[in-house]
Amino acid sequence: MKALIIDDEELARAVVREHLAAHPDVEVAAECANGLEALKAAALHQPDLIFLDIQMPKLDGFEVLELLEAEGKRPAVVFVTAHDQHALQAFEAHAVDYLLKPFSKERFDAALAKARALNAAQPVAAPPPAHELAASARQGKPLERIVVKDGPKVTVVHLDRLDWIQAQDDYVLLRTEGKNLLKQQTLANLEAHLDGSRFIRIHRSYILNLDRLVRVEQDSKEHRDAILRDGTRLPVSRAGYQRLRELWEGA
Amino acid sequence: MHPLLASRARLGAYLLGWVPIALLLTGIALSQGWSWAEAVALALPLCLLAALLFLSAWFLCRALPLGRTTEGLGTHGAAWGMAAVLMGGLWSGLAWVLARMLAWIPGLGALPQRVGIALPVLTGLGVLLYLASVALSYLMLAQDRAIEAERKGVELQLLAQESELKALRAQLNPHFLFNSLNSLSALTAVDPARAREMCVLLSDFLRRSLGLGERQLVALREELDLARTYLAIEQIRFGARLKLDWHLDPAAEPALLPTLLLQPLVENAIKHGIAALPEGGILSLSTEAVEGYVLLHVNNPVDLDAPAPEGLGLGLRQVRQRLLGRFGSRARFETGLQDGIHRVTLVFPLETEP
Repeated sequence: MKALIIDDEELARAVVREHLAAHPDVEVAAECANGLEALKAAALHQPDLIFLDIQMPKLDGFEVLELLEAEGKRPAVVFVTAHDQHALQAFEAHAVDYLLKPFSKERFDAALAKARALNAAQPVAAPPPAHELAASARQGKPLERIVVKDGPKVTVVHLDRLDWIQAQDDYVLLRTEGKNLLKQQTLANLEAHLDGSRFIRIHRSYILNLDRLVRVEQDSKEHRDAILRDGTRLPVSRAGYQRLRELWEGA
Repeated sequence: MHPLLASRARLGAYLLGWVPIALLLTGIALSQGWSWAEAVALALPLCLLAALLFLSAWFLCRALPLGRTTEGLGTHGAAWGMAAVLMGGLWSGLAWVLARMLAWIPGLGALPQRVGIALPVLTGLGVLLYLASVALSYLMLAQDRAIEAERKGVELQLLAQESELKALRAQLNPHFLFNSLNSLSALTAVDPARAREMCVLLSDFLRRSLGLGERQLVALREELDLARTYLAIEQIRFGARLKLDWHLDPAAEPALLPTLLLQPLVENAIKHGIAALPEGGILSLSTEAVEGYVLLHVNNPVDLDAPAPEGLGLGLRQVRQRLLGRFGSRARFETGLQDGIHRVTLVFPLETEP
């Protein structure tokens, strides 16, 4: 079995490496100090198993997993973290294991055995997507940023730099700082993870960052347009207008 | 809103205060040979009128607050005098009008003539009563201010206690502890000597922060010692990613400051600075004593791809509140982002006595 160890702290990687030394059938293909290195190493080595820290610079563990998924890879994952225990308890239901730092040899071996079993058996059900794991770890808090892989380039879009989102079949088009980025996800799915007081579904195909809205113009009896700060016009459906009004009246 | 009109109890007490004045006025009138009917018919409404009219003194007093020095007392005095003459005149004028009106009532026909003779006395009395109202108003204002100051003091104290607790809790930041213990777990196998060093550092850090948490004020030297221990632990965790650059002025070390003020700054610099950068960076900390003040700088690089958080984080807000709570306008707290470096600057008086 090929494994990657992904953690930004050298000593944290050393512990995992040390425990793995007792399992000669597991080969450590690479150690990665950040998410971008991990993506490169995963493309190169096609690991069966990854040990993944959650809090890392640039890309966090969930984002790494999400980007791996976007390329159709889903190695077995063991999260290794000093993260809040309660946040991770939900993972057990998803058959995803986690190690809380610091951990014992027994606990490590158990996690490895679980990952091994998962790897050997034909998975009965698909593992939950990374963004759902991330959402359960956030414990109800809304998403703060979105990662997009555009060819070899990874872009992290912070939500206060996101203008609007458009549905394009199975993809969403993200409009940020004058650029369009495509990400494979449905608009409804993304909407569920956003802060509903900042991002409003103004139309079947559009979610708008409320901060960008200047005014709503009524063109004809049934047709309204949202005018944004940069002059962009986006259609507003009747239900979308209703949502905007509720927000205004609530405020 | 006038404070006396805001509460029924206060208004009642105030009006009650006018009863002896009404009695006095009646007595004076009787001694001047007025009939009982004349004296009471004039004194009662006149006192009620004065009670309401002279409430206006409070607004004048609020507009002309008393300073600590005698400066401005001249202009204030002129204003009080003019207002008193005006209101006294108005009052005696109204007394005269009242007398004309009451003259229609049988038995009070002599009232206008009697009031006419007493007009100078009434005016003088009005002036004196108005000046008494001015004094009363200043008393009320001072009392309100004292109550307000007390409330603010209690609030500040509560805030300080609360942030003290929070600071202590942040001290034992679980993420920091567990990551450190994990580093320790790694070191036991690869470098037992460093593992022991880490154990000692961690114990030292915990002992110091627990000890500091119980005190209100602490010398800068002790805060720096705590930060040094903390950063030595983080140095083991982050290795080459964390570079330290200290510039300390020994003259600043005895300066007293609220406890655990530096620690949140250093923790922030690690959490939002060094730990968020793949290559890490330089955390620089400097102190300087200049003309009776201490300047304390904590600088760290930040990830420019991450959006700057709006306003101050909770940790920095508390540092600011506690610093200003202790030193007031003699202290300054500044933060800013420039060329990818987050800077925090504290300036506070160099005091070595609590």
